[in-house]
Amino acid sequence: MAWLLAADRAPGAPGERAAPSSPRGLYLLCWFLGSLLTAFLVVPLLALVLSQSWAGFAQVARMADVREAIVLSLEGAFLSATLAALAGVPLAYGLARTSFPGKGVVEALIDLPLAVPHTVAGIALLMVFGRQGVLGEPIAALTGLRFWGTLAGIVVGMLFVSAPYTVNAARIGFAAVDPRLEKIARTLGLGPWRTFWRITLPLARRGVMTGVTLTYARSISEFGAVVILVYYPMTAPVKIYELFLRFGLDQAAGAAVLLLVVSLGLFLVLRALSRGAPERENR
Amino acid sequence: MTAGIAVDGLCLSLGAFRLDGIGFAASRGEILVVLGPNGSGKSVTLETIAGFHRPERGRVLIAGRDVTALPPERRKIGFVVQNFGLFPHLDAEGNVAIARRGDRGAAGKSASAPPRDPAALLRHFGITHLARRLPGDLSPGEKQRVALARAIASSPDLFLFDEPFSALDAQTRDELRDELKAFLREFSIPAIFVTHDHTEARMLADKVVVLRGGAVLQSGPTAEVFQKPATAAVARFVGVENILDARIAGVSGGMVSVDVARTTLRAAAPGCAAAGSAVRIGIRAEEVMIAVAAGAAPSVNRLDGKITALRERGPLVAIEIDAGLPLHAYLLAPQARAMQLGAGTAVTVEVAPDAIHVMTD
Repeated sequence: MAWLLAADRAPGAPGERAAPSSPRGLYLLCWFLGSLLTAFLVVPLLALVLSQSWAGFAQVARMADVREAIVLSLEGAFLSATLAALAGVPLAYGLARTSFPGKGVVEALIDLPLAVPHTVAGIALLMVFGRQGVLGEPIAALTGLRFWGTLAGIVVGMLFVSAPYTVNAARIGFAAVDPRLEKIARTLGLGPWRTFWRITLPLARRGVMTGVTLTYARSISEFGAVVILVYYPMTAPVKIYELFLRFGLDQAAGAAVLLLVVSLGLFLVLRALSRGAPERENR
Repeated sequence: MTAGIAVDGLCLSLGAFRLDGIGFAASRGEILVVLGPNGSGKSVTLETIAGFHRPERGRVLIAGRDVTALPPERRKIGFVVQNFGLFPHLDAEGNVAIARRGDRGAAGKSASAPPRDPAALLRHFGITHLARRLPGDLSPGEKQRVALARAIASSPDLFLFDEPFSALDAQTRDELRDELKAFLREFSIPAIFVTHDHTEARMLADKVVVLRGGAVLQSGPTAEVFQKPATAAVARFVGVENILDARIAGVSGGMVSVDVARTTLRAAAPGCAAAGSAVRIGIRAEEVMIAVAAGAAPSVNRLDGKITALRERGPLVAIEIDAGLPLHAYLLAPQARAMQLGAGTAVTVEVAPDAIHVMTD
């Protein structure tokens, strides 16, 4: 009887959860529908890659303007992700750890760029950062930094549409860090800053890295906002669009595959970096 | 009180919750247990002592220093929480080494002990072999040792424990509690331990503070609070099984007669209340003696009754008896079997007069 009661008292103990009878039908349905969606996502990209002959691909890869466009995209995305991290991570921490009137409004505002068509975002940005924009003109006059026809303009377009990813993922990451761990760190003699750097940020690392990676990926792929704000110099998506208009599908597809290979490679590396390490830590 | 902890008139509002004039003290090497139900304010009290809430009124003195205005990192506190709160991204040695040693802003004569070397601490706690392990790979016992080593690394003047064992099974809890007691005795640092479990409080505490609704209901040495709860509310909370409405029938010397339900009991209660006044009596279930042999010579507080219910509780059997008043009692399971007890069995019960505690409130 005693052991019966002891067992009753330990429902929270790890490893005590009973395995539910495996819902086979549900799993099969999930697998089936999931496979359809996965195929829908992968098949077009695969078809694109397979459409290219090696010779045609190599020829496009040797085109200086295509390579420049890809490098420009990578540069812009790197700067965009860096800025998103610098400003978005503190914002995410603030949203995760404090509550204030109007917090819901702030969170909705941060998500707004995700709901705005990117051409609309481009036009709005043009009004602010363009040649006659409310910020563009005075900033150019004061500092010489111009947002038209420059990398700076490209970064503005990329950042606007992609920053929400960093803020949201980092906020979720910070919210998952037990505040008691921060309190313990304080009692151990670490001040608030040291606690953030040594405890909170490393524990939220996965969320932060996921967010920055998504921002980076979204920045590389951005077309609408960038093309309205800065047509020249051309980022890779703009270049691909131009090739498509001027020379047709073949040329455009070659450049598209090149961009796909480069950006996918970088994306996978970043993903591995953001996922791999914490898993090793929690082993 | 220079080397202890004193909390004086702590008042604090947090939303709808309010701490109202919390005060208690413990000296070096003492374990003070704050006992209270969920929502009683025990965790808020602890966090206020640690410096995470600024009280509106009142003071916190640690080792004679008024720390009320200091941030947590300058209060010299070891803080241990449920599941021990190890940093999951750091290995055992990393957890111990992160404690900031040396100057922690302790001014004047209460200079901190020399910084403690993480490796030496791990050795002291017998966990050198765990140095490279991450918290996720440690057993509860190993986690507790790392947590204690980490807490002691910053040379604290006070330990705070916020229900560290509440997620553990009973046996592990017993083991870790013994180890914790030995640890606190060794380092002779005052400790405040928060729990909602009166059994745990009784096993650990030198002093007990019973908290409810943000106010202290009673505080004092453990034996006093558990054996002489001031009110029925405290009695209920420290696990007194039999709490009954009664009326003082007569007072003579150190004894009173109390009318309870359909019977009268004699209680050793020096000068507690006048005849005729309404009181409540508390009797711990283990003080209710049960015998099957009827017809023995009548003596003080011996009553005939009948068992109304039996319930197995591990090695014990909880027995409910109607003896003119409803009583809860315990027997060891084999005893109950030997006596062939069952619902309806006629029994004789006896309660010593000094086991009956009279409460006027």
